[in-house]
Order: sequence, then structure tokens, then C-alpha cells
Amino acid sequence: MESNAPSRLTAIALTFMAVIWISPFSWLILNAFNPLSTGQLEIPRAVGLDNFAQAVSGNAGRQFINSMMIAAGTATLSVIVGISAAYPLSRLKIPGRNAFLWTLVLLRMLPAAGVLVPLYFTAQRMGLLNQLGVIIALTVLNLPFTLLLLKNFFDTVPIELEEAAYVEGASLFQIVTKIVLPMSRAGIAVVWFFSFTGAWNEFLLPLIFARVQDAFPMSVGLYAAFGQQGAINYGFLTAFSIIYAAPAVGVYFLLRRNMNTGFAGVGVKG
Amino acid sequence: MSDVSLKAVRKSYGVLEVVHGVDLDIKAGEFVVFVGPSGCGKSTLLRMIAGLEPISGGEIAIGGRVVNDVPSPQRGIAMVFQSYALYPHMSVFDNMAFGLKLAKTPKAEVEARVREAARILQIEPYLDRMPKALSGGQRQRVAIGRAIVRNPKVFLFDEPLSNLDAALRAQTRVEIAKLHAALDATMIYVTHDQVEAMTLADRIVVLNAGRIEQVGSPLELYRNPVNTFVAGFIASQRMNFLEVKASANGLELPGGRVLALNHAGIAAVKTLGVRPEHLLLADAGNADLSGVLAVVEQFGEYALAYAELPGGETVTLKLDGAPALEVGQDVHMKLPGEGLHLFDADGRALR
Repeated sequence: MESNAPSRLTAIALTFMAVIWISPFSWLILNAFNPLSTGQLEIPRAVGLDNFAQAVSGNAGRQFINSMMIAAGTATLSVIVGISAAYPLSRLKIPGRNAFLWTLVLLRMLPAAGVLVPLYFTAQRMGLLNQLGVIIALTVLNLPFTLLLLKNFFDTVPIELEEAAYVEGASLFQIVTKIVLPMSRAGIAVVWFFSFTGAWNEFLLPLIFARVQDAFPMSVGLYAAFGQQGAINYGFLTAFSIIYAAPAVGVYFLLRRNMNTGFAGVGVKG
Repeated sequence: MSDVSLKAVRKSYGVLEVVHGVDLDIKAGEFVVFVGPSGCGKSTLLRMIAGLEPISGGEIAIGGRVVNDVPSPQRGIAMVFQSYALYPHMSVFDNMAFGLKLAKTPKAEVEARVREAARILQIEPYLDRMPKALSGGQRQRVAIGRAIVRNPKVFLFDEPLSNLDAALRAQTRVEIAKLHAALDATMIYVTHDQVEAMTLADRIVVLNAGRIEQVGSPLELYRNPVNTFVAGFIASQRMNFLEVKASANGLELPGGRVLALNHAGIAAVKTLGVRPEHLLLADAGNADLSGVLAVVEQFGEYALAYAELPGGETVTLKLDGAPALEVGQDVHMKLPGEGLHLFDADGRALR
């Protein structure tokens, strides 16, 4: 009997922990699916998707699209620019290339807020105080890590494979698109997804760059929604939060699958 | 089919010259093996013929056309790499068809050529597999198949067997020899393994420190090496080299006995070379060399005996069968009448 005592204690402790962990999520979910939400943790009397409908229409819907455009745009631009720069960095013997890369990363360690003012004025001068500006600015900020990651992935592609393709008549462009990129697809996916979630969560830059409601992404919209409509609309807010969080969760699962399958492919030497 | 000719080909990296002016003519359909120790420049030479390394001086011609400035794909060569260099994200079929597809070959012809190469190499059942699902030997065949489908004038092999285990290496060696007979193509093959060189080559090119030491058929090199380097490198057991003193009536051997020898250049002889398989066991009475047996290696069909001479030199004997020898016993050896190699102070052979 004595041996049961610790496990019972453990069970109680774990239950306690679970309640603490789960209650915010259950509050979120219960309120989101409750059209008559009051902000209390209670079993809803009615279940419906009204809150979600509200959260994807009108302003909120536009914000979702804005977020998607910024996140997908940043991720794609980061990958394209990153590949174009990382491949030569990986293959050409440029003196001091590693020092150069790490210096870039070091600069990126500075808080983004530190470079916000020059970024803002640059964008203002170039007429880029819009979504495109946000995408370009985020790409610039992403680039050091993107470069470093992609360079390391390209380094793992054996040079003999490229030589073999060259002897067989492939141009440099064909070597990159048919050999190097397919073999680095796991790395490229990682970079794309990280850039995507990073841009999706970005708050400060879009807030400052896009000062009209129509251009706000969800991160800014969530912040703005708190003070609107006099009273706080808990049902709308919770549904909005869930939609806001969904891509990050989705990306996590996509990433995990890719990590498992993709990397194994990279490790194989012909 | 094509002949390859190298004229004073040089390669330097900065101030460091690694290939110092190589001249070589390879006839169409010939199987030539570049052999030498690591870092002798044999792979660099092959890569220069392939067009993967620019040459620093001289001239390379394939089929009578100077290809110094011709990019690799237009040289009419195909290369098989040491690591096979198969594209891991493509099936065996796509690996073999890659070059043809790049050249915009009609689909039916790609199919036909890949199937034909797969038939020759007996890899038809694996055409749909990915490279990682193949064994080392199968991957090597795919790599060779990829070269065959392009129907090149010259095949270049860069140590293609060094990643295979011993049994598979011997088997693949035989297959490459058959392939050469079947395709009748010019093949240039780089290896550091002198067994591969001896068995495959029509002609062997022995390289050392960026220079050609000797070019010749395997038996020519075995019988008449031009210097101590070639003599020591060719054949599976290294030649024994003995320091000798030349005198009027012969050569004074380690241990003091004199080998009577008539040779015009005897005064210049500094080193006597004799292959382990040519040394004979003898009685104490008529021996030329005597020593103590240090190690015996029994292989069943033959044995290698390592005898230590009083002066500290070790001499290797290759003996047929399984001789009853015990470590520590005295061994007496007789030099053969033929098969002696004489070298001067610079290691050059005296004929």
C-alpha cells in the first residue's frame, strides 16, 4: 500500500499542474465557441461558430489576409534572396566569409527597435510605408540568420554531385535548381517556416509602417480590438486569438514532418 | 573513340606547382591507368582532362581537338567519381537519364539508352529505386551506367572502387575489364591500388610528385622498372632493395659476400633490387645472404618470410606453399640468376 502513496501524490500534483495549464486554453476554446460569451469560464449554453464568422469577416478578415500576405511574402522573399546569396557564399572561397556572416548575425542580435527609426525614415523616403515596405524590412532583418542557415545546408551538398552534373552538361542555373535546391529542400522549408512565423508574429514594424486600420495585420488588430466597441467582446477576441495562433500550430506540424523526412534525404551521399 | 594527348601539362595552385609538365599520348580504345601514391597529382591530372580543373600550362587534346578552353560537357567525356556522386533525390532511372534529358534527347531514345545501359550492367530491376536503397556495388554500377548512356569518347574513372569492400572490388574490377572489352572505348582510370593498375591496364602511367616516372604495359613495368620508385611501387610485394658496394669482380652484399656479376656499368651500382618472389632459399654453404627470420605470414598458397640481416635491413621472401619455418631461425637466401635490378646512386635503373 505504501508504494501507492507517492504515485497518488504525484497524480494530485500533476492534476493540479494540468488544471493550471489547461484552464486558459479551455477558457479560450469555451468562449470562442459560445456565441453568448461573457468572459467567464463556464459551460456554454449554446455552441456556434458566430464568433469565428465575425473574426474572419470585415476588418478582422482583412487583417487575416494582411497577415498572410506579410508572412508569406516575407518568408518567400527571404528564401529567394537567401538562396541567391547563400549559394555563392557556400561555394566560392571568399576571404573572411564566415567572419562576415557572423558579423551580420551579431548585428541582428541588436533589438529590432534599435534600427526602427532609420528603417522608418528609409521607408518613408522610398514611399514604402505599406505592406511591401514591411515585407522588405522584415526580409532585411531576417537575412543574417537565413543566410547562415542556408549556407550551412548548401555546405552539406557534396561538391562532387555538382561536378557530376556539370560534366553531364548542366548549366549553373540547372545545377542549382535540379541538384542543390532539391537536396536542400528540408533546410529551405525550415527557413521559410521560421520566417513565416516570425513575420506572422511581428507587431512593432507593421504597427509603425501601416498606420491605417485597413493595412493592419492580425497582431496589430488584436491589440486594437481590446479597446473597441466600448465593452470587450470576449467571444470575438477568443475566436480571433485562435485563428491568429492557428498558422503557427500548423507550421509546427508541417515543420516536424519535414524535419523527419527531409533531413534523412540530405544525409545520403550518392 | 578518341585519342587523348597531353603536352607539357602543368597545374599550379598559386606558387605551388603540383603537376610539372606531363606529356602523354593515349591511343583510341586504350585502357590507361594513372597510379601513384596520395598527392602525386593523378586525380588532378584526370580532373584537368575532365575539364573540372583549369590547366596552368600546356595543352590537352581529345580526338585531335585542343580542349584547353572547351567546357567539360563539350569534351565528349564521362566521369565516374569515387563517391559515385549519384543524385540522392532522383531514382536510378532519372540519375542515368539526367544528362540525356539536359541535352533534350527525345524521350523514347532516353528510355532506350538507359534500358540498354541497365541491361549491360544488370541493374534493370533497380531502375525505379532511389540510390539510398542500393548497396555500394549497385551504386557503383549506376554511376558507370550514367557514364555509358552518354556514349562518351573517353571514360574517366576517379578511384571508382575504393569505397567497395575487398570481395566486391575484385568482382567489379573484372566487370570493368569486361566493359572495356565490350564498349571498346578509351578509358582513363585513376587508382592508388597497384593491383587494379596491373590487372586492368593496357598501359600504366606511374606518377610521383607531379611527374611521370614511367609509362608502360604492366609487365614492362614489372620486368624493367626505370627507377627504384617504380620498382618499389609496382607488384603486390615491394621489391627488396639492398645497399651494395661495387668492386672489380662483383657486388659486395650486406653480410660481406660478393656476388659475381658482369655488367658494363657495374662501378655505378649502388642498390641491388630483387623481388620477394625471385629470392630463393638456400643452404648456409651456397647462400648469398643470411639473416634471422623475424616474421612469417602464411597465406596457404604462399608464405611471406621477413628475414632480418645482420646489418638491420629486412628482406622479404615469397615462398610457394606453406614452408615449415620458425620465427628466430636462421635463413639463408640465394639471389636468382635473372630478375636482378641494378640501380645507381640516383635510383635510376642500369640496364
